[in-house]
Amino acid sequence: MLLLLACLAAVHAVLYSHYRHRLTEYEARSGLRQIATAALGLSDLCIATEARYTRHPAASDPVAPFMDHPGAIEHFPTGSFWAPPIPGGLRGEGE
Amino acid sequence: MNGGLTKHLNIIDYTLSSLWRRRARNVSVLVVFAGVIFLVASFQFVTGALTQFALDSLRTAPEITVQRLSAGRQTEVPLDYGEQVASIHGVREVVPRIWGYYFDEVTGANLTVIGVDLERMPLGEKLNLTLAEGEVPEPGASGRVLVGRSIKRIVESKGSAYLSLFRPDLSQASFAIAGVFDAATDVLTNDLIVMDIGDARDLFHISPAAATDLCVYVANQEEVPNIARKIAAALPDARVLTRAQISQTYQVVFGWRSGFASVCLLTALAAFVIFAWDKASGLSPEERREITILKILGWETSDILAVRFWEGALVAGGAFTAGCTGAYIHVAYFDASLFRPVMVGWSVIHPSLRLVPSLQVSTLLLIFCFTVLPYMAATVIPAWRSAIVPTDSALSGM
Amino acid sequence: MLIELEGVTKIYNQGQINEVVALRDIDLRIEAHTLNCLRGASGCGKSTLLSIIGCVIQPTSGRAAIAGLQPARMPDRFLTVHRRRCIGFIFQNFNILPALTVRENITLPLVPLGLSRRAMAERVDRLLQRFSISHRGNFPAGRISGGELQRVAIARALVNDPPLILADEPTAHLDSRLSREFMEYMAVLKQAGKTIIITSHDPQVTEHPAVDRVIDMKDGRINVS
Repeated sequence: MLLLLACLAAVHAVLYSHYRHRLTEYEARSGLRQIATAALGLSDLCIATEARYTRHPAASDPVAPFMDHPGAIEHFPTGSFWAPPIPGGLRGEGE
Repeated sequence: MNGGLTKHLNIIDYTLSSLWRRRARNVSVLVVFAGVIFLVASFQFVTGALTQFALDSLRTAPEITVQRLSAGRQTEVPLDYGEQVASIHGVREVVPRIWGYYFDEVTGANLTVIGVDLERMPLGEKLNLTLAEGEVPEPGASGRVLVGRSIKRIVESKGSAYLSLFRPDLSQASFAIAGVFDAATDVLTNDLIVMDIGDARDLFHISPAAATDLCVYVANQEEVPNIARKIAAALPDARVLTRAQISQTYQVVFGWRSGFASVCLLTALAAFVIFAWDKASGLSPEERREITILKILGWETSDILAVRFWEGALVAGGAFTAGCTGAYIHVAYFDASLFRPVMVGWSVIHPSLRLVPSLQVSTLLLIFCFTVLPYMAATVIPAWRSAIVPTDSALSGM
Repeated sequence: MLIELEGVTKIYNQGQINEVVALRDIDLRIEAHTLNCLRGASGCGKSTLLSIIGCVIQPTSGRAAIAGLQPARMPDRFLTVHRRRCIGFIFQNFNILPALTVRENITLPLVPLGLSRRAMAERVDRLLQRFSISHRGNFPAGRISGGELQRVAIARALVNDPPLILADEPTAHLDSRLSREFMEYMAVLKQAGKTIIITSHDPQVTEHPAVDRVIDMKDGRINVS
């Protein structure tokens, strides 16, 4: 039991040091990402490029997932992982 | 007090040997449970990492973005909207932008084209730092683009030195690759083609008096909501997005309520908990006999429950440790490859993520509460019923 | 007087169609440091009487005092603690857990006491030596001989040093040699100051010279012969 706990501790020590290293690397590079965002006015991450509402969930219009039909069933695999865009943004309503 | 602790240590000792005696069953339960926790934890780690990526990276997005909607769909923004917005007190700068999607039929890749005047964008002069090779073209330079790494690969795979894109009238526009974005910005730039705004206008046949959206920069951050409201009031057909709303999107875009991926995970967990309850509810004849003998020998019901508790805790604790460790390795070393089909779907170009799994106490606690606690409840509560076994059968020839 | 029973009756499933009167109006007194036998045919109530004396079940009516405790209307927890302190059990078929080692079986009554590992090991080692089964300490109990099993059962009953030992048909499945051996152990324990009650209809038990008293039972009553 003690041997098992010792092995676990060793494995976790290695993983933790990897985590710290990855975190340091991440923080060192975040400056570059912020420059790219500012210079290009980016609003979204480039991960799921199959549909515009998964490529730009923050910036695409709320109708985008339902372009084909108002009640269209999800047909992109990423729709199961990325929520549809929230109907955010202000619209002028004759204040 | 000390005696109480020693008693529990003795009970744990007994529990360990009891678990070892039924090791085939217990190991299989542990492995399955660890698998379920692995999936739940992987999901939490990867969504936490992506959310953090987004919140950190998009901190310097434009304070306000103005789009125009027609029949619920995004359409071109007239440039004179920009003049109206610029006249609002507190607005420092309004920069038009052209961007859109380009579908490359050969590779099946959806690319994003951005046309922007870098001289007018914040930190535009520092964009060189984000390039792994090449340099940012001179302002106004036509026919030269900056591309993400995937696009460089696509161009090279075609054996060409130029990136050729088709206009709506099917005429061809060729661009030389002036620079390639660094891998550190992959998660933002992997599918990007950045060109001069004039080239983008030409490529998409967008009128010189229009743009795709307007990036609005504000002098005083506190005034952003007010200015956004004023813009919305001044432009009834506009959609006004603030940076806060972009952040908010990324706090819910991977939420538990989003999509059947999380539903599947929760379903698997619920099924496992039901299985655990079912297992704990029934006693085999050997277990029944064991409990009866223990009670005759002076074990109280609470001692027997303590054994069941520690059995559950040791199995659940072992599964939690194994599951979370496996999840960390899956997300950090393998970029959550098991989730690729749902994370990127039919996308043919994939950024290298180099995720930093979200290892906060709150994340681990959430995983713990969703997995270990229901399992403990499912094993200990039925064990109460089982522990109240009548002892008189022991003396009448068991 | 270690055990006193007055008018003890035990009825199972009282008021129901399958009601069974296992004991009727039992009056019994058992002195300390004696070896007693409860003799009778199957179903006469011996085991039920032993269960009441052992504080495993409570009488339906009547008064019982077992080593200073009146178990009637006591919560189960108190009865358990009392059993742990004052009563050692030797079951029919011994009821050793075969998957545990000999040492682990004997240690079982000690686990709830909160003793240190060393203290528990010392007690168990003493008993293993006393009954000459030290060499079997780490064997799975399912793989030892009948005679060794018998000694393990006795050792387990003694590990808490209780004043009262109860044995239910302990020789039912033993040959005559092992039955004789068992009674020799009981005689030694009686000499050491224990009070012993054995249920049996085996003459090797009931007619053993160490037995102080044989109590005959029939149809849930004690026969006064």
